[in-house]
Amino acid sequence: MQAPSSLPRDPVDVIVVGSGAAGSNMAARLAEGGKRVLILEAGPARTPAHLISSTLYARRVKWTGPPVLDEGKNPVGFVFNAAFGTGGAAMHHYAVWPRLHAEDFDMRSRHDRGLDWPLKYSDLAPYYDQVQQEAGIRGDATREIWRPPGAPYPMPPVPVFPQGTAIARGFAKLGKTVAPLPLAVTTTHYHGRAQCLWDGWCDSGCPIGALANPLTIHLPRAAAAGAQLVNDAAITKVLTSDDGTRAVGVEVALKDGTRQTILAKVVVLAAFTVENPRLLLASATGRHPQGLGNSGGFLGRYIMTHAAGLVYGLFAEETRPYMGAFGGQLVNQDSYPKTTHRGSGAFGSYQWMIAQAVKPNDLLGIATTRPDIFGAALHDFMKRATRGFAGMTAVCEDLPVSDNRVTLSSQQDVHGVPIARVTHDTHAESVSLWKASLSEGKEVMRAAGADEVWTGPPGSMHIMGGTVMGTSSTNSVTNSYGQLHDIPNLVVAGPGLFPTSGGVNPTFTVHALAARSAERLLATWPQVVG
Amino acid sequence: MLARRDFIVRGAVGGACLLTFTLAGCETRLTPARARAAEVPFRTLAAADVATVDALGETLLPGSSTAGLAHYIDHQLSGDPADSMLMIKYLGVAAPFTEFYRSGLRATNAASQSLHGRPFAHCSPEQAAALLSQMAGGHVEGWQSPPSGLFYFVLRSDAVDVVYGTKAGFEQLGVPYMAHIEPPSRWGE
Repeated sequence: MQAPSSLPRDPVDVIVVGSGAAGSNMAARLAEGGKRVLILEAGPARTPAHLISSTLYARRVKWTGPPVLDEGKNPVGFVFNAAFGTGGAAMHHYAVWPRLHAEDFDMRSRHDRGLDWPLKYSDLAPYYDQVQQEAGIRGDATREIWRPPGAPYPMPPVPVFPQGTAIARGFAKLGKTVAPLPLAVTTTHYHGRAQCLWDGWCDSGCPIGALANPLTIHLPRAAAAGAQLVNDAAITKVLTSDDGTRAVGVEVALKDGTRQTILAKVVVLAAFTVENPRLLLASATGRHPQGLGNSGGFLGRYIMTHAAGLVYGLFAEETRPYMGAFGGQLVNQDSYPKTTHRGSGAFGSYQWMIAQAVKPNDLLGIATTRPDIFGAALHDFMKRATRGFAGMTAVCEDLPVSDNRVTLSSQQDVHGVPIARVTHDTHAESVSLWKASLSEGKEVMRAAGADEVWTGPPGSMHIMGGTVMGTSSTNSVTNSYGQLHDIPNLVVAGPGLFPTSGGVNPTFTVHALAARSAERLLATWPQVVG
Repeated sequence: MLARRDFIVRGAVGGACLLTFTLAGCETRLTPARARAAEVPFRTLAAADVATVDALGETLLPGSSTAGLAHYIDHQLSGDPADSMLMIKYLGVAAPFTEFYRSGLRATNAASQSLHGRPFAHCSPEQAAALLSQMAGGHVEGWQSPPSGLFYFVLRSDAVDVVYGTKAGFEQLGVPYMAHIEPPSRWGE
């Protein structure tokens, strides 16, 4: 990491805005492809030494950038889902890396719901394979009976701890299948990385290199290939040519209040789902009066977040619920076909992340699962739950809705840039899907033999959309490589590109898309840079 | 990346780093519990606020006031919001958070006065529990902002954090801490 004073004065090949999963992946590949890459990170420098094993200290690495107005009936929970500093949100992600399914890519064509992607699963499969090898995923592809075609995982699955055994019993009694959860976490020493201790500190950030976060995987590669990372460098505007057809660089606001213009042949926006459209909207010009990439009116629209179907049980047996990974131990995708729960008015996919490691406190901690209990009864609950708690989470698909969107507020940040307002109301069929997941989850817990079974509220996991990809500016903001239809050397990376959310965690797909985009940029560099 | 052993060693070397309180004009590193025992002056919360927080804490999770709940909240509200470790960060409330707490404490006392004819800190345990049950359900007649259910959730979370969110709290429950990097304070010691 370098201080803002180290900002280059001369043009670079590529500016990457943001150092999270998408930005670090793109930066590494483009730098290794011989390009001079500058990564501008608005947040502070973070190293593994900042990742203290504490639910309290973990809150310091979450979002503390410009305020985001998180509104609507079902807010996206921006602060918890984002982060501020080197590594972005992926720095504290849980490394659950399943693939999207083929039917996620053409949902509009198949089911007349949502949007179609401008590519198919088969287009992305080679990049899933490529990324899983470099990041290291543990799992068992054979036992994942729902998994779309792809190379087997490079590492064996994690051992199942008593919490997983208890819940798996319920699935088995109902004739359902579980498989090891695909996790980008090391079970063996992998490419020089330490192996996981199954201590459950993933949400605080993994400092030992066991979990595939940007600090471990792509930022070291980017640095080794000559990419420069500058922290505390907030982009205030993407600069475009007079005719509006090219991005020419960015304006950066520094901590001391000064601003600097940096020129580049290509600009990659990888500042996460809300900041990317915010910057594009705030960079409006006479040629692009509604914001960059917004000629079709789609910029900021189709914001999505997975509703969490939280189901808990209390068992007489000892479950050791603090052991394992924060993302879980096992997976079930029996409810992935989009019409599985049509009978209850639901549409969409979900998967179960089973037996997630928990801590006593925090937003996802044991105490929070029963917010109604207080007083001496809370102490009693904590002691009983520490011994026999078990939980699982359904990742429920969120149908894309045009009015769920990022817009600019009249309020401004410290640099004078309008802050983002995110409005999100969950589609009725997605609400029904969430309810269906709770019904199934309670049935599983009871079948498993839990003495007490209860559920949680529909928390928001992951944030997607807002800069969706498509076939033209009449239906989207970018093409399948993240290039703006209107400005092809201005590229968006990250989950904001997703036209649909699927029912799985997004980070693996973010990486696969980034790998595909970087490859395309390098292969077509002369055309891209004009 | 660094090896886990390096982190444990670094954590042990830096293990004296506790929360910074000002005591008798000197900056001192203390746990919230010790700050309470030493009667460290409050910087943000008024005396009446502290009494209400203590009473809320004891009703929500007995032992949380002596674990330093009021000093913990005061410390976090008195610093840079970017460094805040309060749960409220996750709950869609814009920083700084001081007015949220002050408004919530005022509303608690107003509701207590209306329901029981006395401030919350002077309520019997049964009266306090009755009001908290109403707050948890979001159904307190005449309640002023912030939403009572949210304020209940935030204070309850703070109490749980101070009692069980620390290495000492984990040990009370028999949960192995298994840190890669030890937090700089064993709060609640």
